[in-house]
Amino acid sequence: MSPTTTGQRIILSDVNLSYGSHQVLRGLTLHVDAGEIYALLGGNGAGKSTTMSTLLGFARPDSGIVQIAGYNPTAEPDRAREQIAYVPENVALYDHLTARENTVYLLALAGRHPAPDAIDGAFEATGLQAAAWDKRLGGFSKGMRQKVAIAIALLREVPALLLDEPSSGLDPRATADFNRLVHDVARKGAAVLMVTHDLLSAADIADRIGFLEAGRIVDEASAQGDDRFDVRELHRKFAREVAAA
Amino acid sequence: MSTVTLIASDELRLMRRNRVAVVAFALLVLLTLAAALISWAHQQSITETRARFQSQAAEEFEAQPDRHPHRMVHFGNFIFRPLGPLATFDSGVDAFTGNSMFLEGHRQNSANFGDVRQSSLLVRFGQLTPAFVLQVIAPLLLIFLGYGAVARERELGSLRQMLAQGVSGRALVMGKLLALGVVAALVGLPTMIAFLLIAGQPGALAGPMLVIALGYAAYLTLWAIIVILVSALVRRGRDALLALLALWTALVILLPRVAPDVATQAHALPTRLETDIAIAHDLHKLGDSHNPDDPFFKAFKEKTLRQYGVTRVEDLPVNYKGLLGMEGEKLTSGLFDDYADRSFAIQAAQSRMTDGFGIVSPAISLRQLSMAAAGTDLAGHRRFMTQAEAYRYDMVQRLNRLQADSVSYANDTAGDVGADQRKRISAGHWHDIPQFRFQPASAADLVKASLPGLSLLLAWLIIAALALLPVARHLQKARP
Amino acid sequence: MTLIAHELRLLLRVRMAVLTLLLVALLSIAAVVAGMAEVARQRDVIARIQPKQAQDIASIAAWVDKSKDAGSAAYYSFHATWDAPAPLAFAALGLRDVAPYILRVRSLGLEAQLYDGEAFNPELALPGRFDFAFVLVYLTPLFVIALFHDLVSGEREAGRLRMLDAIAGSGRHLWARRVLLRGGLLFAALAVPLAIGAILSHVTGLALLAVLSLIALYLAFWISLTLLIGRLRWTSVANAATLAGLWLVLTLILPTVAHVAINQAIPVGQGVELTLAQREAVNRAWDIPREDTMRAFYANHPEWKDSPPLNAAFHYKWYLAFHQLGDESVAGKVAAYRHGIETRDAAAHDIGWLLPSVGVQSVLARLANTDMQAQLAYQDRIRAFHKQLRNFYYGYLFTDKPFGKVDFDKAPMFAG
Repeated sequence: MSPTTTGQRIILSDVNLSYGSHQVLRGLTLHVDAGEIYALLGGNGAGKSTTMSTLLGFARPDSGIVQIAGYNPTAEPDRAREQIAYVPENVALYDHLTARENTVYLLALAGRHPAPDAIDGAFEATGLQAAAWDKRLGGFSKGMRQKVAIAIALLREVPALLLDEPSSGLDPRATADFNRLVHDVARKGAAVLMVTHDLLSAADIADRIGFLEAGRIVDEASAQGDDRFDVRELHRKFAREVAAA
Repeated sequence: MSTVTLIASDELRLMRRNRVAVVAFALLVLLTLAAALISWAHQQSITETRARFQSQAAEEFEAQPDRHPHRMVHFGNFIFRPLGPLATFDSGVDAFTGNSMFLEGHRQNSANFGDVRQSSLLVRFGQLTPAFVLQVIAPLLLIFLGYGAVARERELGSLRQMLAQGVSGRALVMGKLLALGVVAALVGLPTMIAFLLIAGQPGALAGPMLVIALGYAAYLTLWAIIVILVSALVRRGRDALLALLALWTALVILLPRVAPDVATQAHALPTRLETDIAIAHDLHKLGDSHNPDDPFFKAFKEKTLRQYGVTRVEDLPVNYKGLLGMEGEKLTSGLFDDYADRSFAIQAAQSRMTDGFGIVSPAISLRQLSMAAAGTDLAGHRRFMTQAEAYRYDMVQRLNRLQADSVSYANDTAGDVGADQRKRISAGHWHDIPQFRFQPASAADLVKASLPGLSLLLAWLIIAALALLPVARHLQKARP
Repeated sequence: MTLIAHELRLLLRVRMAVLTLLLVALLSIAAVVAGMAEVARQRDVIARIQPKQAQDIASIAAWVDKSKDAGSAAYYSFHATWDAPAPLAFAALGLRDVAPYILRVRSLGLEAQLYDGEAFNPELALPGRFDFAFVLVYLTPLFVIALFHDLVSGEREAGRLRMLDAIAGSGRHLWARRVLLRGGLLFAALAVPLAIGAILSHVTGLALLAVLSLIALYLAFWISLTLLIGRLRWTSVANAATLAGLWLVLTLILPTVAHVAINQAIPVGQGVELTLAQREAVNRAWDIPREDTMRAFYANHPEWKDSPPLNAAFHYKWYLAFHQLGDESVAGKVAAYRHGIETRDAAAHDIGWLLPSVGVQSVLARLANTDMQAQLAYQDRIRAFHKQLRNFYYGYLFTDKPFGKVDFDKAPMFAG
């Protein structure tokens, strides 16, 4: 199957998934278009990390359709993963390699061999200071590590980006930097799905916000106008939802 | 309950709830008991076999018919080294030395038929004795149970919490040490049961047993301290485990093997062939019994004739050939003693060198102490060899004396048809030759021999214990 | 840069991995050097004894020449035999530190001479020698554990496992590459010093290949075991502890238990028994008519039966004849004793199929010709040489041919 042309890069449709007798996803349906940033907002136990696992092909749904740029992660995990850049909550790279070495190595694992100036360009695009490019990752802050991870994602030119709790542990300035960066990535055509419980950050960056509760989307909001979202309204929905869970 | 005992009992509770730890501990206890039992059965069977052979050899000696005494000098006698009761605990070098010896005139034979030459290569993997279990395996259990004692608290962040609540670093370290010490004591307990078995046997000596108990207690305590020290110094539990495993490998497995190599290269031991040739050469220089004009034997003859106031050997009241035999044996035996002393001096120097490695490896010190106190070390082997040579000399000289006194010179030199019968003396004489009785070392000697190892071990213990103080302080200051 | 080069750089940046590999290389080098030094020392000793032995024979020849008595020559001449170390002996010294590699024999009863030991310090033999076999059998598994126990669990604990799986596509290749790289480096650290030692020692290509395969197989066993434990998805600490426990059981505890079991199951008729019997048979000759002895001897060895009859005087041919009869009388016991030892040895080899530590040790000692079989083969060569010696002296004794100085040079020489 070739990548879908409809623009829907990430598709979850009526997905059900249970761990033993415990049903985690109950008819989850969402899609993220090319160039769109979708924030999946949910409290503890809502099914956020299971959604991520499903998209990465680590968890096998009982029923429903999952597609990453047209590939089913369960049936073709390798092909599906080739379409995704995954940035975990705590970007764990190799501390004893430099930023550049990490990038070169991990891209090589993905079968890509970018030219050195392409890497420089990616680092620059993420806003990582040039002094850090050839420093070992051991002393990097979380924000710097995320930038390296995004740089890798950029160089892979993948159609889908999965962000797991990207803003947790970042100071406000680093969060702003990061949001701007993700925004740039999306404008270049990638579908970005971020999983978070940080409402403000989601409101700041997302084009759409989905409220995940007990394994399904209970509500969705789209950005509109200059104010984008009514944060107070969002907060009310979120609090209600967390209370229900 | 004080903070220290509180921490200790908490740690012990954690170990009790850790199924793997409990299983490992139970296995070690079983292994110790099995080792004690196997070793005891092995020692019993060795004792029985050697005693049987000893009495068979004695019977055969006494059952010899009327003979010329010199024939008995060559018939010789077999003797066997009995095992002391403590060999059950630590069999030491027993499997590596011959345990039987053929004693005859003019020759010093080697001790033969050691286990190592009639067993499979498995004998080189070590022997399952309680000493082996405690020396090699018990420290590993302490490592497995204790590596995380402090490192775990640090990793989980509970160390910070405890220190914030006013628990001193010293109390923490002492508490953890106490817990591991209890484990060490429990590990040593089955061996004490084995000891009680041994104590019931005749010949068991209280002094050496006490030294052994003390030595092993010091050794296990030392390991408990080392484990706690590393656990407190290292950042992560895994690093503590790997560091301790590396340390154990170096101290218990590697160094005991490297030390003998160094000693062998440093102090070369002449081969038996060279020693035999050298003795023959020296003997030839002293006097050549094949040469009728040899000055030494000529002088001996003149001295003997003068002593008895006669001019011809035929006129002597005793058989000159017997006297000559005694003189010859005295010469060879003197050389044997001389060369044996030299050989043992080299071996002792080698052993001292390996014992010196005890400065870097407490396992080596413990082994020295253990074998010395059990009487199964090189000195114990030498004790047997020395007594064997003394017995050999005495036996041969008694037979030579019989030749001098009971066989006439005329008969001894006659070559006629009936001469063979006239040369023989009654078989009753063989009964008068005393049997070999091995004299084991005294308790005081064994204790004294084990002191170098014990003092090195105690020095290690004191240094390790002192190292706990700065480590406890460091723990209190360090950023968890 | 190829992926394997990337992996190499990654591995070499980890201090513990580098230290481990360096340590393996260092220990391997040290073991090879120590083994070669020991083998050189043994060769030197064998070379050193030759002039001394010649001197000893010369001094005997000097006085025997006066009487030209072949009996005295036979009685007093000790002949050297030796067991020169095989080229590969440096890798596994085996039993060479406890069994003699030099033994002097004379043409009297062999069974009273064959089991004599060499002078050695038993305290040094007790822990075993530091040779390549030791580094391979005992230490290598520990280094495998150090390098492989956190292969996957380490990535999981560092939080990289998901990303790696997500990024690397077919994840299995990544792990295969890492396993091969670590295994390959470990193999090189062990094998390169050994191969250099082997080439310097003129080991045949085939033997070297066999040893290298053995190293690879043993590594493969331990690596598979660590990977198997790794599949249980425990923490790195749990992996390390479990594997160290397995190592303890497989290389220390089970072989010692097996030793006890073998010695219990296969009792060896003690060698003492046969020497006691041989002594009894030899000495009995003094108490029976000498003609009986000669008759028995000629029955077994008709080639000498035309020798002139004994007279009243002592004759060495009778003396040597009853010594040989003494040996022959215990032939059954000798065979049984040897069979017992061989059975024990075979049992240990069989156990090697179950315990890789034992298997590697025994195969390596076999290749190095330093095991029990090599000891027994040396005894066989001594036996054959002793037979030659007897025949040589009998040629003079049974024909009453005078034995002069020149005849000493005609004595058979042991072919080392």
